[in-house]
Amino acid sequence: MLNCKVNGKEIKVKQGTLVIDAIKQADYDVAHYCYHPGLSVAGVCRLCMVKIGDNPRLQIACNTPVQEGMEISNEDEQVKDAVKWGLDFHLINHPLDCPICDQAGECELQIQYMKFGQYDPEMAEKKVKKRKVVDLGSKIVLDTERCILCSRCVRFTDEVSKTNELGIFNRGDRSEVGTFEDKPLENDYALNTVDICPVGALTSKDFRFRQRVWYLKNQSTICTGCSTGCNVKVYYNEEGLFRVKPEFNEDINGYWMCDQGRDVYKFVNKDFRLLEAQSVTEGQAEPLSAGKAAQLAGEKLKELTKVNGPESVGVVVTGQYTNEEYESLFDYMVNKLKVKNIYHWVNNSDTMDDFDGLLLRGDKNPNTYGLKEIMKKYSIQTNMSDLEGAIKSNTIKTIVVAGPENQAVYPDFNERASLFSQASNLIWFSAGPVSAATSKHTLVIPTKTYAEKSGTYVNYKGTHQSSHKVTTIVRGALSLSDSVTLMSGESILTKPVGPQKAMKTNFFVNKSGEL
Amino acid sequence: MEAFSDDILVFIKKECSRYETRRSAIIPCLYKLQEKRGWISPEQIGQLAVAMDIPPVQINEVMKFYTMFNQQPVGKLHVQVCNNISCTMNGSRELTDHLCKTFNVKSGEVSSDGRVTVSKVECLGSCDTAPMMQINDEYYENLTPESATKIIEKLGK
Ligand code: SF4
Ligand code: SF4
Ligand code: FES
Ligand code: FES
Repeated sequence: MLNCKVNGKEIKVKQGTLVIDAIKQADYDVAHYCYHPGLSVAGVCRLCMVKIGDNPRLQIACNTPVQEGMEISNEDEQVKDAVKWGLDFHLINHPLDCPICDQAGECELQIQYMKFGQYDPEMAEKKVKKRKVVDLGSKIVLDTERCILCSRCVRFTDEVSKTNELGIFNRGDRSEVGTFEDKPLENDYALNTVDICPVGALTSKDFRFRQRVWYLKNQSTICTGCSTGCNVKVYYNEEGLFRVKPEFNEDINGYWMCDQGRDVYKFVNKDFRLLEAQSVTEGQAEPLSAGKAAQLAGEKLKELTKVNGPESVGVVVTGQYTNEEYESLFDYMVNKLKVKNIYHWVNNSDTMDDFDGLLLRGDKNPNTYGLKEIMKKYSIQTNMSDLEGAIKSNTIKTIVVAGPENQAVYPDFNERASLFSQASNLIWFSAGPVSAATSKHTLVIPTKTYAEKSGTYVNYKGTHQSSHKVTTIVRGALSLSDSVTLMSGESILTKPVGPQKAMKTNFFVNKSGEL
Repeated sequence: MEAFSDDILVFIKKECSRYETRRSAIIPCLYKLQEKRGWISPEQIGQLAVAMDIPPVQINEVMKFYTMFNQQPVGKLHVQVCNNISCTMNGSRELTDHLCKTFNVKSGEVSSDGRVTVSKVECLGSCDTAPMMQINDEYYENLTPESATKIIEKLGK
C-alpha cells in the first residue's frame, strides 16, 4: 500500500494505482474523456491534468502511477485553468448541436463545461465541418463532427471485442473516426462503444430520438438474456423501459454487456404483454383478473388431483424465474398437491452450452442453474421427452406451464404450446400472450417480468445475484409466488412495495435548484 | 480488381518479417503499392490487409494520416504545397489559391488535361525556407505566387 494525499486528504492506495483512480478513490471529481478503466491508457484528451507536489508542469492523472508520499491536487487554480482551456480546444470544432443530440443530458462535454468551462470562446476561425449521420449498420449511427477523438471506441474494438473495425483517419483538426470504407459496425458488443463514447458521436439506433435522457429514471438489475447474468441498469419512465446499459461487476461482466442483452427490455413493455388473464373453454374466451384466475386455477387443480390423481398433472417449468418463485411453486406442487411430474423445458438444447468467449452464452435463460438445483432438492428426475407420450396416452390430462418471459428465445415455443394443448386442461403462466395455447380448458395467467419483481437468479457458474423490482408495467400481472399463494387459497398482502429509490439520469436535473 | 503480382507479395512478406510488429511494415508496403499507379485505392488496402494479416482499418489510418500517400489519381505534376504553420504564416494559403486558379484545378483534384494536381500537405520539414512546395519528388523553396507559377509552367513543357 502507498500513502498519498489528494487535495489534502490522506489515502492509501494499492501499488500501481493510477493518479486518476486515486482521485476517484478519495471521492473527488476529475475531468476526463479518454480514460476508461476497462481499456488501455491513451492519454489523448489532456483533460485529467493534476498538479503533483511542487512540480511546475501539470501532469495527466490517467498515465501517472501513484508514488509513495505523492501530493496530488486537482483543485489548484492552475489545474482549473488548464482544464478550462483544454475544454475550449475540444469545443473548437464541435458542432454544439445539443438540441438534436441524443447524448444531451448525459454528455461529458456539457457536464465538464458546467463544472470547469464557462468561458468566453475566443476562436475566430471557422469550424471544420465533418460528416454527420454516417450509417454504421443496423445498430449505430456516427456523427464524426461531434467526436472529440478520445479513441475509447477504437480501443474497445481493438482490445475488448477484438474485431478492429474502428480507426481514426486523417490528422489534426480534420481527424475523423470511422470504419474502413464505412463498413457496418456489427460485432456482438458494438453498442458498448455507444456507452463509452463520452459525447454524442456514436448513438444507438434503437434509442435514438425516442426519449430525452432527463425524462428517464434508472435502476440496477440483472440481465435475463442468458445465463451469464450481466449486471445492468435499465432506463425507464411511466411509459415503460427504454434502454439497458451495463453496470460494472468484476466477477460477472466487467464493464460490458452484449448487444443481444440490450434488447432484453422490449418484451417487458406493454405492447408485448398479456394484460389480463384469459379463460378459454372450448373456444369461448373470457377475460378475468389475474388474481381470480389464479384462485380458479387452484380450485381446479385441487379437484383434478382428487378426481384423476396427482399423476395426471404435469408441470412444465422454464429457467426464467427466480429462486423464490421456484421454491413456492415446488412446495405447492410437490408438498401440497403431491404432483411429481415436473419437467424442465429446455429451449435450445443444441446450443445450450455455447459461449462466445466474452460474455454471451447459449443458455438463454437467467436461472437454469437455480431450476436444476431445486429439482435436485426435490429429487425430481424427469425428461421432457416422456411428457409427449404421457399426454398422447392421456395419462397426463392437466398441464401447468411456467412459461418463458421472453418467448423470442424459445424457438420451439409454438410447437410445445400445441403439444401442451393436447391435454384437456392447460394452465399457463406467461408474461406475453400465448395464442397457441388452445386446450379444451385453457387458463392463461399474466405474470410479472424480471423488471417488475425482486428475486434471486443463479448464473451459469452458481453465483447468486439478487435483482430488485424496477417498476410496474402491467398492473394486473402476478409473480409466480403470488400466483401460488392465491392458488393455495390464501390471499396475498397487497402492501404496496415501492421500487427502490430511483436515480435520475442527469446530474443537473438533480442539482437543478443550484443552477 | 487486379491481384498483387508475385514481386509485390514477396516484398510484403519480406517487410513484414523485418520489424518487430507487422504494423511497422505498413509504410514501406504502401510506398510499394503507390509506385505503380501513383495512388492507392480502397480495394488495394483491402488486398494489402489480407496479405499483411492486419485489419484494413489500421492500414487506412496510416495511409490517411500521411499526405504523401495519394487516395485518388494525381496529375503528371503533383504540386504539394505545404500548408503547415511556418508556410501558412508566410502566405502558403494564398499561394495555393493562386496556383489552383492559374491552373484551373480544385485543390486535390486533377486538371482536365491530366497534367497538374495541386494539393495541400502537412509540414515537409523545410520550414526555414517557407513557403515551399514539393513537385513529385523535388522541393522548391522560398516561393512567391509568381515564381511558383513559373516553375510549374517550365516543368510542364
Ligand atoms: S466516437 Fe466517441 S468514443 Fe469514439 S473517439 Fe469519438 S468521442 Fe471517442
Ligand atoms: S451476455 Fe447474457 S447476461 Fe450478459 S448482456 Fe448478454 S444476454 Fe445479457
Ligand atoms: S483522461 Fe487523461 S488524458 Fe484523457
Ligand atoms: S511548415 Fe511548411 S515545411 Fe514546415
